[in-house]
Amino acid sequence: MALFPDPVRLLGEAASRSAEAALALAGRERVRLAVTGLSRAGKTVFLTSLVANLVAAGAGRRTLPALEATSGRLRRARAIPPGVEATPRFDAEAHLAALAAHPPEWPARTDDLSTLSLALTLRRHGIYGQLLPDREVTLDLLDYPGEWLLDLPMFAQDFAAWSDETLSRLSKGIRAAPAAEFLAFARSLPANAPAEDSLARRGHALYRRFLLAARDELGLRFLQPGRFLNPGPAGDAPLLWFFPLPAAARNSPLGELLERRHGAYLRDQRDRFLDPVFRRFDRQVVLVDVLGSLHAGREAFEDTAEALAAISATLRYGRGWLDLLTGGGIGRVAFAATKADHVPEVSRDSLSSLLSDLVEAPRRRAEIAGASVSVHSVAAIRCTEEATALHDGRPSPAVRGILLENGRWATVDPGLVPARRPPESFWNAPYFQMPVFRPPGLDPDGRGGVPHLGLDGLLAGLLGDAL
Amino acid sequence: MSETVPRPPRIILEEEAGPARLDHAWTEGTDPVVVPPAGFSTLSLLAIGISALIFGFSALAAGNYVSEQFTRAPWLGWATLLVALGGFGTVGWAVVREFRAVFRLREVDAARAAFARGDFASAKAHVLAWATPIPLAAAALPALREAPDLPALRALLEAGPLAALDADARALGRIAAMQGFAATAISPSPSLDALVVGWRGLRLVRQVAALHGMRPGIAATASLLRRAAFDAATVAATEVATDTAVRAIVTNPLIGHVVGEAATGAVAARRLITLARATAAACRIVPRDIA
Repeated sequence: MALFPDPVRLLGEAASRSAEAALALAGRERVRLAVTGLSRAGKTVFLTSLVANLVAAGAGRRTLPALEATSGRLRRARAIPPGVEATPRFDAEAHLAALAAHPPEWPARTDDLSTLSLALTLRRHGIYGQLLPDREVTLDLLDYPGEWLLDLPMFAQDFAAWSDETLSRLSKGIRAAPAAEFLAFARSLPANAPAEDSLARRGHALYRRFLLAARDELGLRFLQPGRFLNPGPAGDAPLLWFFPLPAAARNSPLGELLERRHGAYLRDQRDRFLDPVFRRFDRQVVLVDVLGSLHAGREAFEDTAEALAAISATLRYGRGWLDLLTGGGIGRVAFAATKADHVPEVSRDSLSSLLSDLVEAPRRRAEIAGASVSVHSVAAIRCTEEATALHDGRPSPAVRGILLENGRWATVDPGLVPARRPPESFWNAPYFQMPVFRPPGLDPDGRGGVPHLGLDGLLAGLLGDAL
Repeated sequence: MSETVPRPPRIILEEEAGPARLDHAWTEGTDPVVVPPAGFSTLSLLAIGISALIFGFSALAAGNYVSEQFTRAPWLGWATLLVALGGFGTVGWAVVREFRAVFRLREVDAARAAFARGDFASAKAHVLAWATPIPLAAAALPALREAPDLPALRALLEAGPLAALDADARALGRIAAMQGFAATAISPSPSLDALVVGWRGLRLVRQVAALHGMRPGIAATASLLRRAAFDAATVAATEVATDTAVRAIVTNPLIGHVVGEAATGAVAARRLITLARATAAACRIVPRDIA
């Protein structure tokens, strides 16, 4: 598989892992947490809330009660000051200030990688622990455009396999209509299509237009390549000018050009994204906007499930000796249904169960590999309160908050949240766009933490053993 | 699950909210748990009672004695009163000094707490109060007064007074180590070694504390020793490896034959250096950052 590390890299990782193991023995551990999620799953907000609440807990506030370490043992949590890193710094303070400002702003779509490291100073357990020095755990966090995550499955395919799979997906269901123009163009290419750049760029433009429509209008997530949707700071470049090509035209000069660009794109993504920052994580949280995909219709829902399965199939789980040596294995995984504050309390268990059902395949795969897996429903920032809505004269549980777009109070009854993959009849209901709520009152400097739902339980499952 | 169409989602719009935000009363709900003070411990009550009995009865006895002396002769009464006031005054002054030293340590704690909760105004006030009587910090006072925010205040402290204080504490530790080593090398018995190093250690704690503007008495020295042993354990951790290495070298049988009893002196000297660093860390107004 293309993701398997080469021997030189394996040795390099083993050496750095050994150095980290030595530091861990001296009470300086490093925990790398990959916050994974498809686009608009809420990664940036999750990280902002995580940082604010950990820092507040380090100052003694009870912001994360389910995380045992925060009941007295966490003595301090602080963001490690910037050094000479080449990767941009995740600016939690700026995101928090924007959320607390008047008018408030939710973080914009993430368009580049950014990282942040938190230093957590912890008192040790037990009587003998009191005589030993405090432990310091460094928590490395990473934010990145969710669209890029869908590039991971591409590393396991060559151009032909990727083209076949993508074209087959494009011609089915709700994708077919927005992809019609692109498909017509691609299928009209002759078997000896010349390596003409205008053809390549035309095909790329049509394919990209389809991807944007599928993401923004249909709510689909399994859209590749990620940089077509979110080019990042490098912007547009010739290596992006390719598109899935039907088998009939693949042996043409144009096919060869597109194949070369496809290879160059993957190498570039590996060098920029995968190797430097994404590979070496030992904990993973997978954020899924289950509610959003549920309300966007059956195809969007199934598309999300397919995307999650494809991504997790490319990640290495487990804590075998090789993984421990190279740091390549993910030991703990938490799947989280985000925006849990958009459903009333009685439906949150259903939301977790639905997610559990949705990620059954990747969950089992991680468990078989020896990783510890948990499923949660969380709201990184709680924007609603419990309420009751009348439905045909009968009260039903709902949530109430202030809408961001018009500043009006609104009671939202999100309808039934099925505990398993819904049956056919469920999709007969009209599609529904969950409104965006105004964030609650926040302390601009985040000293008091951020109101959340279930973040502490998730962190307890994910980091409890390390803290 | 039934095969009927489920209840559809709905949005029921209400009144304008204006600039209002939803209030979860989050800040109040997450306030740090304040553990009510347990009051005086049994030992403290015993100590207070015994002290009250000793000082109270001795004061009463002295009063009686002074009044008796006045009945004998006025000049004898005045002379006895002078002696009693001098004696009790000196004891009282010692107690006041002891409390002041303990309160000075509390100020360090208060400043650390203010830094931890990010309370700039309080941290600045404590830092200025702390720095004023310390000669090594006097030069940095104007800059500390003008510090615009907490990171700047911390950086100014670390770069200026704290760096100088740490350097001086290290120098004191080295001197104490040399003296401790020399004393154990020439001392006639191992039990005297322990006494000498113990006394030198106590003196070192007081010297380092004096650098930080404290004049610790018995209670404050005990408190400092406890903090040096527990709170400043991070410093000790960095020393563990060095200490182990020194011990491994000097307890090697071959080297042991060469250096003889001086080996234990080397370990003791090494510990005095560690003690100086741990005490300095315990006295620091800002906890040492772990890089």
